[in-house]
Amino acid sequence: MGKLLAVIRREYLERVRNKWFVIVTVFGPVFFAVVMILPAYLSVRGMRDAKVADVRVVDATGTGLGARVARRIAEPRRGAITPAVADTSTAAAPAASAAPAAPATPPRVVRVDTVSAAGLAAAESTLVLDVVANRLSGYLILDSATVGSGRARYAGRNASSVGENEQLENAVRDALLGLRLETAGVTASAADSITRLRVNLDAERITDSGKGGSGLGGAIFGFVIAFTLYIAIILYGQQILRGVLEEKTTRVAEVILASVKPDILLAGKVIGVGAVGLTQFGIWIASAIFFWSERTRLIGAIAGPTASAAGAMPTGFAFPTIEPFTIVALLLFFLLGYVFYAALFAAVGAMVGTQEEASQAVQPVMMLLIFSIIFVQPVMTNPTGRLAEVMSMIPFSAPIIMPMRMTATPVPVLTVMASLAGVALAALAAIWFAARIYRVGLLMYGKRPTLRELLRWVRQS
Amino acid sequence: MTELAIDIRGISKRYAEHVAVRDLNLAVPRGAVYGLLGPNGAGKTTTIRMILNIIGPDTGTIHLLGRPNTDGAILDRLGYLPEERGLYKKMTVRDVLRFLAELKGVDRRTADKRIDEWLERLSLKSAEKDWGKAKVEELSRGMQQKAQFIGTLLHDPDLVILDEPFSGLDPINAQALKDTVVELKRRGKTVIFSTHLMDNAERLCDSVCIIARGEKVLDGSVASVKAENAGRTVALSLDGSATPEVMAVLNDRSLVERVDDQSRFFEVELVAGADSQTLLRRVLETGARIQRFERVQPSLHQIFLQRVGATGVEEGMTGHG
Repeated sequence: MGKLLAVIRREYLERVRNKWFVIVTVFGPVFFAVVMILPAYLSVRGMRDAKVADVRVVDATGTGLGARVARRIAEPRRGAITPAVADTSTAAAPAASAAPAAPATPPRVVRVDTVSAAGLAAAESTLVLDVVANRLSGYLILDSATVGSGRARYAGRNASSVGENEQLENAVRDALLGLRLETAGVTASAADSITRLRVNLDAERITDSGKGGSGLGGAIFGFVIAFTLYIAIILYGQQILRGVLEEKTTRVAEVILASVKPDILLAGKVIGVGAVGLTQFGIWIASAIFFWSERTRLIGAIAGPTASAAGAMPTGFAFPTIEPFTIVALLLFFLLGYVFYAALFAAVGAMVGTQEEASQAVQPVMMLLIFSIIFVQPVMTNPTGRLAEVMSMIPFSAPIIMPMRMTATPVPVLTVMASLAGVALAALAAIWFAARIYRVGLLMYGKRPTLRELLRWVRQS
Repeated sequence: MTELAIDIRGISKRYAEHVAVRDLNLAVPRGAVYGLLGPNGAGKTTTIRMILNIIGPDTGTIHLLGRPNTDGAILDRLGYLPEERGLYKKMTVRDVLRFLAELKGVDRRTADKRIDEWLERLSLKSAEKDWGKAKVEELSRGMQQKAQFIGTLLHDPDLVILDEPFSGLDPINAQALKDTVVELKRRGKTVIFSTHLMDNAERLCDSVCIIARGEKVLDGSVASVKAENAGRTVALSLDGSATPEVMAVLNDRSLVERVDDQSRFFEVELVAGADSQTLLRRVLETGARIQRFERVQPSLHQIFLQRVGATGVEEGMTGHG
């Protein structure tokens, strides 16, 4: 027992004292915030900015539809994207909510070329040249087919951009709707207000105990949990692998094994590195809670009272109510999932001799993780679906999918327990398997074992 | 309490491709400095790993200091310096040593005290520089070896196993190691070392065991091994040139197997079973004046070559020296 403690202490202290641990622990939240917010911010900015406004509208309908479309395109974007970004940022990194609200986009003027149906071909050939010469990013053609069946045509350098195509589609649809309403006798202002109607669905989750919470909040929370588990398992799993590999390549393993059993060394390593992970995440969670609860005062101190009021607005996001059972289950999923993957990473470390070999041999393990994480999106969109049910019961994906599923939607306690039991059994099997590989592999130098040799190692020990 | 530090009975270890150790018996008395000699790939390291219970033998038993080596507590009384040296590179020397001591059940305070003593003794710590505070990777190779040697001895083991301890040591550090071995013996500790350097073994060991191809070739005290393998070579120097009568004696194939004739100096190898005294008497009877007549003790090196031969080294073996 004393020896196990000595191994754990070494694994823990050597990592926690490392300057990179300190740097990552302090700057990790900033990094995550940037990683989460930046792509969303850029894509939103990209939608608002240049591209679409550089579009020329060619109106061959003779109904003035072109002018309507141009007006719609030139308007600042509304809709789901902007508040959603604000939500993600406040949920993931409270510090980011200090960022001032994005400035309003100035109105743009989109030029409309009104041509006759006959002159369309000529106008289009000129525009092609403009696009080639980069004077335009594209042009939108509206003709009689647009008015009749809603079919418009866009050609341009950014023709494959989903976001921009959608924006153009919306503009054409709104404009067409307005046109038809007016044709049907609705006044221009009424038509305008009708086409501007947007629906916002405030989804509220109801759990077994009747407690509420925002559905969106639950989904985002589940998403954050799934990714956190995924990142934690990869980060600390790799640390285990590197640790084992270091002991093997420096040959220090032989000295250690003359003092303790390999199982103790393996256990100490998994526990020690796990404790490092808990420490790091503990610090992150504690600081997140602190910043969130103190955000008003902090923002006030940094940016003055006005910003403080704005920052205090949780923009429709509320932390979902989490029951104690869920918290315990989350922790268990985290620990068991970590142990399962840590054992596999350790086995990989023991069976290879160099970092290069390791990066190859680790791929089957990474595949299990990646296989789990690619289903995060579909499960989040439909947490009650068949896919969510299956993936949250398979032992290797359950630690990532089930926590997300159970924060997004109520899951029967028995189902959660069954899933946990599955993960626990898988973790035991992984430890059993890894310990065997570890015992033999740690002292095996030279070429990497084949699958058959590996199986013999497992049988042998 | 048994007098044996190591009592090995009939151990064998077979790997998929070859037999590393075959039915090996070994008895090492307490307090001895014992040499485990053999060419690379002979099974030395495998034997040592089995002694340390790092790997288990397929058959046979191993007792250390009177207890089976599967008894976990016995490992705490062993010190092991593996052939492939290595320490955690990013740790400070002191932290590594403390860790190694803790794994042997030494408490931190005692460990710290002994670390200081050893660092000073092996000149890794002086008034101006304390290498104990440096990271392992900052040390020269020789210093790392010394640090590892300290790690082997920190828990004051009763049985010390050194696998190829001299490889990579400069003469000064090699001497420091020899001094330490001698001192350990003086304090009643048992020291096993495996080496293929016969000179060191001959000077340091009380007893040796030569193994080749996983099997014991011979064992016993250095004196008896030499005695058993001695007696066939005689160095003979004459006062003046050899007379035809002397040459006749030396060319008597019933007595002399082979003679290396260097005019006034002869290295004579007797036929098996011949008595060197007979040779001496017959040379004297020729009236020749003898300056030197000596039964030459073969060195361990010669015995090794003679008994193991060039074929003793198995080809294509790695990792299980």
